[in-house]
Amino acid sequence: MNKVFLILLILNAFNYVTPQSHNPDEILKRVTETFNMIQDYEVDVLINVNVKFLKMPDRQAKIFYKQPDKIFVESEGFALLPKQGLNFSPLTFLKTAHTALFDRMETLNGINTTVIKVIPSGNNSDIILSTLWIDESRNLIMKIESSTKPDGSIIIEFQYSKIDDTFYLPSTMIFTFDVDKVSFPAGITGDMNSESKKKDEKDDIAKHGKVTITYSNYKVNQGLSDELFKKETVD
Amino acid sequence: MIITLVRIELLKIFKKWRTYIGFIAISILVPVIHTAMYYEGQKSLDFMTRDLQQSFVFVGNLLNGYFISYIILNALTIHIPFLITLVAGDLLAGEATAGTYRILLTRPVSRFQVVSSKFLAGFIYTNLLVLWLALMSLGLGLLIFGFGELIVIRSETIIILDAGDVLWRFMLAYGFATLGMSVVCSLAFLFSSLVENAIGPIISTMAEIIIFIIISALNIEVFKSIQPYLFVNYILNWREFFNDPLDFTRIVESTSILLAHLLLFFGTAVYIFKKKDILT
Repeated sequence: MNKVFLILLILNAFNYVTPQSHNPDEILKRVTETFNMIQDYEVDVLINVNVKFLKMPDRQAKIFYKQPDKIFVESEGFALLPKQGLNFSPLTFLKTAHTALFDRMETLNGINTTVIKVIPSGNNSDIILSTLWIDESRNLIMKIESSTKPDGSIIIEFQYSKIDDTFYLPSTMIFTFDVDKVSFPAGITGDMNSESKKKDEKDDIAKHGKVTITYSNYKVNQGLSDELFKKETVD
Repeated sequence: MIITLVRIELLKIFKKWRTYIGFIAISILVPVIHTAMYYEGQKSLDFMTRDLQQSFVFVGNLLNGYFISYIILNALTIHIPFLITLVAGDLLAGEATAGTYRILLTRPVSRFQVVSSKFLAGFIYTNLLVLWLALMSLGLGLLIFGFGELIVIRSETIIILDAGDVLWRFMLAYGFATLGMSVVCSLAFLFSSLVENAIGPIISTMAEIIIFIIISALNIEVFKSIQPYLFVNYILNWREFFNDPLDFTRIVESTSILLAHLLLFFGTAVYIFKKKDILT
């Protein structure tokens, strides 16, 4: 009986000790420090939008980023970018008061990740809860799942490539998000044919979207001027 | 011979001031729309895309010549028929009103040649009117607002077409709009062959188009069964050229139906005119 009690005590102790070895605040701090090595970058992007109600060709653009949160998008033609996560930086998670909790270990696409839940404190943040899958060996966020107040949930999946043999930056980001029930003012476009009649049947279908951004030709820490970001800031 | 007859008919058409009403109306209306869009276009565009902007950041400008031309074509293809009937309704009935039928038919030409030349002249007028609309809206629009991607907002889809993928669609759309307007011309021409006063065909054609448009727009079960038989239902199918991918079946079907209507109206007008007892 005593032996059984002892085994249970040891197992229980392990249960408490394991989470403490994955200190979520420390992990997030290391991720931020890794990201802080990048002061600025410019990168060519290929944007693929896959939303049921939206048909558009793939677009090319150039994104300029400068710490802490300056972003400028340059495109020869018209481009659409997901509103959430475009200017993603781990700093945004730590800028406001939050509580971080270790959740579990999980293998994601063959990479061992630590799953951390981040709950913003107070009522000012639009994010209700974020779950982060972090590759501790490289201090990189591999996946984020966020629930937000106005826009529902968003999942961002990352793939990285090593730039200049030093920095890990995303080579692909896949955004999966809820698109609000969209209604279009048909009166303006003058549509009054059979298409509009189908609308009623599909009006309540929740719409999901996927945007894949492929990054190439990174130029990191080139000392981008602040003037560049005064032209137009996308937030 | 027929070319000479068409030339004479065109001369007659362009000698009447009412012929220029359509051109003047387009010349005034299109720049007014351009001016309004120049100042308020972005607001309209923002309103149209407000739902999309909740999820996406827009980079670049969608307010360009193509977008304005699309809006104008959408708005005017419903109203241009009225401008066409002013001329087409007068083609045969005008001769009766003026009392020139007998003089005309004493010439060494067949009735078929007379009626065909008049119809061809009306057809050319219709083409010129749509061409003028294209020049004014697309030409002037591109000059003022420049080139760019075209956003097409439908009742349940948004299509964004690449700037290089738009011009040929407009060319085909204007071509299709010309066919649609030619059907209107042939209908007014048919009514014109029935009466001896030009007012009747003009009002009859307008009334028929208004009634058909209302029936086409109403989402009532009884009307749904009638709608496929109304030619106005197909006139606005120039929009099909702005679909991605193109629905060839629908385009061919619409084109065939409009062509069939055109031939039917013209054929009936020819038959009536050949059998007509000329008393004036």
